[in-house]
Amino acid sequence: MLTRRHALAVAGLLACAGASPATAEFKPTRPIEVVVHGGPGSGNNLFGRAVVAAVEQEKLATVRFQIANKSGGGSTTAANYLMSKDGDAHTIGVFTNIWLTDPLVQAEAKARLHDMTPIARILVEPALVVVRGDSELKTLRDFIDAAKAKPGQMKQSGGSITARENIIRQMLMNNTGARWTFISFPSGGERLAALLGGHVDVMILDPAEAGEQVRTGKLRVIAQVSEQRLDAFMDVPTLKEAGFDIPNVPQTRGIVGPPGMPADAVAYFVGLLQKVTATPAWQKYLQDNQFEGAFAGPEETRAFLARYEEQIRGLLKETGAKVVR
Amino acid sequence: MDVVNGLLHGFSVALQPANLLWCFVGCFLGTVVGILPGLGPAATVAMLLPLTFNMDPAGGIIMLAGIYYGAKYGGSTTSILLNMPGESSSVVTCIDGYQMARRGRAGAALGIAAIASFVAGTVGVLALTLIAPPIAAFALSFSSPEYFALMSLGLALVVLLSGASLVKGLLSLLVGLWLTTMGTDLFTAQSRFTFGQSQLLGGIEFMIVAIGVFAIAEVLATVEGGVKSQVLPVPRGLRNLLPSWEELKACRFAFLNGSVVGFLVGVLPGAGSSIASFISYGIEKAVSKHPEKFGTGVPEGVAAPEGANNADTGGALVPLLTLGIPGGGTTAIMLSALILWGIRPGPLMMQETPDVFWGLVASMYIGNLVLLLLNLPLVPLFAQILRIPAYVLFPIILGISVVGAYSTSGSLFHIALLAGFGLLGYAMVKLEYPTAPLILGFVLGDAMERALRQSLMMSQGDLSTLVTRPLSASMLVMAALILLTPLLGRLNRWRVRAIAE
Repeated sequence: MLTRRHALAVAGLLACAGASPATAEFKPTRPIEVVVHGGPGSGNNLFGRAVVAAVEQEKLATVRFQIANKSGGGSTTAANYLMSKDGDAHTIGVFTNIWLTDPLVQAEAKARLHDMTPIARILVEPALVVVRGDSELKTLRDFIDAAKAKPGQMKQSGGSITARENIIRQMLMNNTGARWTFISFPSGGERLAALLGGHVDVMILDPAEAGEQVRTGKLRVIAQVSEQRLDAFMDVPTLKEAGFDIPNVPQTRGIVGPPGMPADAVAYFVGLLQKVTATPAWQKYLQDNQFEGAFAGPEETRAFLARYEEQIRGLLKETGAKVVR
Repeated sequence: MDVVNGLLHGFSVALQPANLLWCFVGCFLGTVVGILPGLGPAATVAMLLPLTFNMDPAGGIIMLAGIYYGAKYGGSTTSILLNMPGESSSVVTCIDGYQMARRGRAGAALGIAAIASFVAGTVGVLALTLIAPPIAAFALSFSSPEYFALMSLGLALVVLLSGASLVKGLLSLLVGLWLTTMGTDLFTAQSRFTFGQSQLLGGIEFMIVAIGVFAIAEVLATVEGGVKSQVLPVPRGLRNLLPSWEELKACRFAFLNGSVVGFLVGVLPGAGSSIASFISYGIEKAVSKHPEKFGTGVPEGVAAPEGANNADTGGALVPLLTLGIPGGGTTAIMLSALILWGIRPGPLMMQETPDVFWGLVASMYIGNLVLLLLNLPLVPLFAQILRIPAYVLFPIILGISVVGAYSTSGSLFHIALLAGFGLLGYAMVKLEYPTAPLILGFVLGDAMERALRQSLMMSQGDLSTLVTRPLSASMLVMAALILLTPLLGRLNRWRVRAIAE
């Protein structure tokens, strides 16, 4: 076990060290497998398909790129699969935040992102804090005050307790001293139905998911989780502008390779992904989903992930999750 | 635009030759997908999604919806012929459908499934056409206590599914409830009963349990009895392959029951078509004059669940189209398709994009007719499958089961699980434990536990929230009444004996 860990660490270091200057150039010789953890229709599946579509439309590669669905156990099945491809240069994976959080709370989830080879962070997803359109809560401050007045009685619908919406809740509670309840629902549809039906008071969700409800007045946006105001919501304050100075919790998506991926292959994929993110198709994908491009190379991504894991570990403990690593 | 004008406009869209073609393509693909276990409508719609990006939105959504409800038609085929559910929504159909096939009425069962699907599917679309906005408000009024009460009502049906021994039925149910807790708990992110296996973190796939305890167990039990050259009797002559007038007449109430229950449960984002089919089967048995015959191959036992899972489609489209809320996997993908085309499902969809909204609704009337015409002539053909000698058919069933299990997950671990559930089902058959309660527990357990915990979080631990809400209280009372039926029966028998003495 120790020797294996050790070998992985060395391989990781080598991959990092070798990534910067151009070594021997890598050319893929067989189709590239793009591993995604979500089933068809899920956000990271669509992300993977958008990457593949951009590669194919602009003929950016000489081989085919194909999506491999490895769903099950959150990100665990996909992460395990990528771990098993040690040293392979023809397999990459789409990572999101849960690739970091799953191993933190589940003893069985042994495949960790920093044992693999980060290639690039590609985008961050903003989020909106919404209440019902007919709610008397006009601002986030109103909500916080209401929660303070009735501790534990205001309710927020969301997904797993490790999801970003609960991390943001935890930070807002720490920042203000207010207390409210987080109620998990398995699907986005149920979370939204609980809010629209008046069974919960607030929800944090993707702009694309909320767009139509906001336009028709069913939902009111009281704050946005984003560094800068989004084009579509110019009149809504960010958390900071609303007076809540909490660290940004970016929901990110990016590409990671298996452990010990050769440095020239890493360099090849970084170059390729830079070209992908410059295509009009990719820009349209970002715009349609109101994502923000946030490209970062291998070293920066690795540092970002490490920093992020530290930040989230403490917060997960505070939310009541049992942190095992 | 009122309903009549809207629908007329819809038909003018749906009857355009290109859209008719897409409707047919969708229905055909849906039927095929439904027949193949392991390949579900959600995966198919997702795979075909990129091909529809350049299509006209009306044609595109007409085709995707066709796959969605077409799969419900096809799902019953293997349930009836091979005791192997083609879709999770067709699991209940195995109970009486396969028994009908064993008595030489496979063709009749297939015909009844198609007719029930057509009737209830059409009623579901009719309800979608007429009462979508008010029924959407009803769906939103359902909170966690109501979901808990609905699942309790479903779980109470165990007393109707248990057969001779209630104790054995309850034990079987408990195993189902236990199996459904495996995997990651949503509320704490902790794993339960995974035995250190990361493959179990996502829980057990429903289709693997269902195929294991139904299809594999059936193959094993039949093989043990000595393989005859032909497994099941298939009568000669077309007339004997179609449902008789008496059989259809027996299903009158089942058509209505399936339509209403399927639609109402379908509207709820937190339920699903497997739950709809279980509940309508339970109601059918509860009101039947001969409940003891259920499970031996009564046509109502096929018509009710098959109707319910098709009416469910019309119901599921209500929150999708009028609120922009998807209730399940397939509708979630359809929502993302609509958004990619620039269509915005929600309260304004009817006014802003009438072509797509009404075109889709109208196409579903046409699609249901297409599916009936597509499926009925296939009945005699499918019934012939049972003429295949057992030494050929059984390996094929096992092969399809293994491929189905593998395709839902892509891992060998799940094939081992399938084998395990096959052996469990076989043991249950040998020891005369009913398998239906296990499946019932598996389908309802997760949703029920979740609803209970959500309710208690909302009420800050106050259990009275479950009985102070009228809708939830009345469903719990119904559940209690169903639970009391075997007791009443015993009381009655005791009274009769006392009087006789």
